[in-house]
Amino acid sequence: MGETILKLDKVTKVYPNGTVANRDINMEFEKGEIHSIVGENGAGKSTLMKMIFGIESPSSGTITYKGEEVHFASSLDAIKAGIGMVHQHFMLIPSFSVVDNIILGDEPKNGIFLDRREAVRKTQEVSDRYNFELDVTEKVSALSVAKKQKVEILKTLYRDAELIILDEPTSVLTPQETEKLFEQLRSFKKQGHTILFISHKLEEVKQISDRISVIRNGVSKGTYRNDELTMEQLTNLIIGRDLESDIDRYKTHEDFHNEKAAVIEDLCLERNGKPVLDHVSLAVKKGEILGIAGVEGNGQLDLVRCITGLEKTKYEGKIMICDTDTSGMNIKGRRDLGMAYIPEDRMGDGIAGPLPISDNMISTYYTRDDINTKLFMDNRAIDRISNELIDTFAVKTESNKTSVDSLSGGNIQKVVVAREYNTRPKFMIAEQPTHGIDIGSAEFVHHKLIELRNSGVGILLVSADLNEVMDLSDRIIVMFDGQIAGYFKNARNVTDQELGMFMLGASHQTPEEIGGALND
Amino acid sequence: MTEKKQKINLSITNPKVFEVVKMVISILIALAITLVILFMISDNPVRAIVTILTGPLTKRRYIGSVIESFIPYAFSGLAAGVLFKSGAFNLGGEGIFIISGVSIAAVACNQLTTSGVLHPILCFLAAIVTGGILMIIPSFLKAKFGTNEMVVSLMLNSIYSGVAMFIIRKFLLTTTTSTIGSRDYFKTAKIGYIFEPLRISPCLILLIITTIVMYLIMFKSRLGYQIRLAGTNPKFAEYSGISAFKLSIVTAVIAGILCGMGASCQLLTQTSFYLPEQSLVGIGFSGMLLSMLGRNNPIGIVVAAFLIKYLEQGTSILYFVDRAVPSEIVAIVEGIVILLISSQYFLRGFREKKLLKEGLEKDAK
Ligand SMILES: Nc1ncnc2c1ncn2[C@@H]1O[C@H](COP(=O)(O)OP(=O)(O)OP(=O)(O)O)[C@@H](O)[C@H]1O
Ligand SMILES: [Mg+2]
Repeated sequence: MGETILKLDKVTKVYPNGTVANRDINMEFEKGEIHSIVGENGAGKSTLMKMIFGIESPSSGTITYKGEEVHFASSLDAIKAGIGMVHQHFMLIPSFSVVDNIILGDEPKNGIFLDRREAVRKTQEVSDRYNFELDVTEKVSALSVAKKQKVEILKTLYRDAELIILDEPTSVLTPQETEKLFEQLRSFKKQGHTILFISHKLEEVKQISDRISVIRNGVSKGTYRNDELTMEQLTNLIIGRDLESDIDRYKTHEDFHNEKAAVIEDLCLERNGKPVLDHVSLAVKKGEILGIAGVEGNGQLDLVRCITGLEKTKYEGKIMICDTDTSGMNIKGRRDLGMAYIPEDRMGDGIAGPLPISDNMISTYYTRDDINTKLFMDNRAIDRISNELIDTFAVKTESNKTSVDSLSGGNIQKVVVAREYNTRPKFMIAEQPTHGIDIGSAEFVHHKLIELRNSGVGILLVSADLNEVMDLSDRIIVMFDGQIAGYFKNARNVTDQELGMFMLGASHQTPEEIGGALND
Repeated sequence: MTEKKQKINLSITNPKVFEVVKMVISILIALAITLVILFMISDNPVRAIVTILTGPLTKRRYIGSVIESFIPYAFSGLAAGVLFKSGAFNLGGEGIFIISGVSIAAVACNQLTTSGVLHPILCFLAAIVTGGILMIIPSFLKAKFGTNEMVVSLMLNSIYSGVAMFIIRKFLLTTTTSTIGSRDYFKTAKIGYIFEPLRISPCLILLIITTIVMYLIMFKSRLGYQIRLAGTNPKFAEYSGISAFKLSIVTAVIAGILCGMGASCQLLTQTSFYLPEQSLVGIGFSGMLLSMLGRNNPIGIVVAAFLIKYLEQGTSILYFVDRAVPSEIVAIVEGIVILLISSQYFLRGFREKKLLKEGLEKDAK
């Protein structure tokens, strides 16, 4: 046993709305270990980490850091004490550049002035070390979620904290990026740093951890050495039962006669003079899931923004949704055609945090007849529908009037998915649909997507999780550098190595082969 | 979880109850502090506080004055409430009040009709149209050019009061006195009383109806829902298919109309001429305070307007009996109450302790 660096003693947290998020948690963390905390959505992982980092204060119980009882008044105190944290929901200043966000509070000085050139050089160097491919002078508000995640990681690693907390840092990273991050974490560990790691991807947890602590319903279910736990035991500890093995999700579904839910032809988009989409053509058929694989930043995001109508820059090409040309239509018009959209940035686009769950559950179909009377909105119907959705999607909450921002990360994601599911779509765009969702619930969301598909909905799936894309999709395209680099008619016959070659630009199919994305 | 009928929770852990308790305690604390101040400056502090609190009720004339004078403020508060709720930092109410006053004066100083019913209505319409249109400017400029609506609206406030002066001087100037103000209105433009002793005019009825309508709009209608969404997360509103631009124009028009109504009530009941530098000054800004006091809730705003005017009346009565107490004491009460109810921390510790106990008890089951 190494020396204990952090000790939690009977830590309890009750939130102002009465939710008991943690209850009598006892945990010890050793210097120089990688210690994972796992548990279902809403189990209380983030809350526990926030207390260690001084963002929340325990309702009762004590936290002992380096042998001394601590009561951090804010995260500043924690940072001073040598603790760093990567937050599940980013704590970045959108109007600042990447550099400014990273160095904030720890600026390289040149006398009394900020040494900007040095700052840029240093941060760029750190970023390059992880192959994060960030332009550190870019504004954070312009970044994708995956890039923001990387900035959040860099911000913490840059400070070289002794105790590093990572709250779901990998949920939007590709496997390659995760591997890079893990290398770094292992080297930190060698230098004697302690790492607290949270993830719903249990393979990752098994791969990186020395020890694993399990929280269920706010209560600690014990700490185990990684090598004395099998995957099955771990699953069982987390959800209190075994995960049902996959029921047949590929049950032959009805034939929708090659009807198209959406058709995109020759889509081109330039940003700052650079082409980000280069003659992209594809069709999403009714009753299929078309998966898009690719390393983030190769045009997937831009493609989705064009299709949804959120893109402000003018694009060239044609986008048809349910046989209607959408040129000149804003997102409202496109939604009216039957489009639903699960956005990757759930906090930015997907919710109005301070408003109750019920308000958030209907925003994309609030004019629909079943929740309106002639003059007013039918609050009773809204309550009924939101409660049904809360039940179906197992959102962990006291009531449908709880504000969405007081839900746990995974539960917020469930609210977004539930809402879009309930728009009764004909065509759905699902970006990172299971981002931050625990294994049990991810399974459920997948089933829901399959169910939609089997009822004739065309789904365009974009995900950094290659397994998700391969498991769910009927057909797959790979995007590289704004183009479709590869197209696979039968997702069942592809291996991840094969996809990997296309994702990294090492392979490229002929235009005829790629044409299948539109014409098959 | 569906259909779970909960007993109504009357303890402080219920957020709505907490809000009310907090409001009441804030007012009590503010009054207590006032009492302490009165002890320092007045020879007879108890009489002073009693006069402030009950004075307005001692004569019909007093309470009538409260009823009459709070109406324009209530309208102003309602206008600010809509704007704030939609997330617009438009502080233009002040200027809109002053400039719609010009429209009212223009219509009231001309014998457009001999009907005592139609003439005030025409004045109202003129004010509403002026307010509704001019209030759009900051929102429009923000949506189209990204200008800061707070800066623009403050600038417009100055511009409007200059313009008001100019128009009055040039076209409507009175010849009977040396002050800069409009001529007397034609008698037909004045709004009479329904019940003279309490100074109840049709304006009060209009306010009541407007408050109910605003309440329904904010909490029951689709428009109110859109305003809530856009006010909390504009990106989410856009994602959901709500046009932020359209919405900002609609809310500005509503706010402008409310200001126009408020200005009409002020000018057509309380005066018979318009002085740009006096008649309407300050009402627009007070509206913002009221909307804070009423937590952007239409009914809360109107109640707050009434209470503030009531206290003001109380202190001005006190001034007759006790010259030592300045009427500004109301501002202290106002300030303390706003400070306390908008503070997140006030009473929070107390509530959290209760929650901790309740939460743990429930959890243990
Ligand atoms: N600010 C808050 N106010 C009230 N309740 C909260 C707040 N934050 C979290 N909770 C509640 O506390 C519980 C634990 O939430 P927490 O965020 O710690 O879960 P988590 O384990 O991190 O879940 P996830 O895997 O979804 O991120 C949840 O029931 C959540 O609804
Ligand atoms: Mg969490």
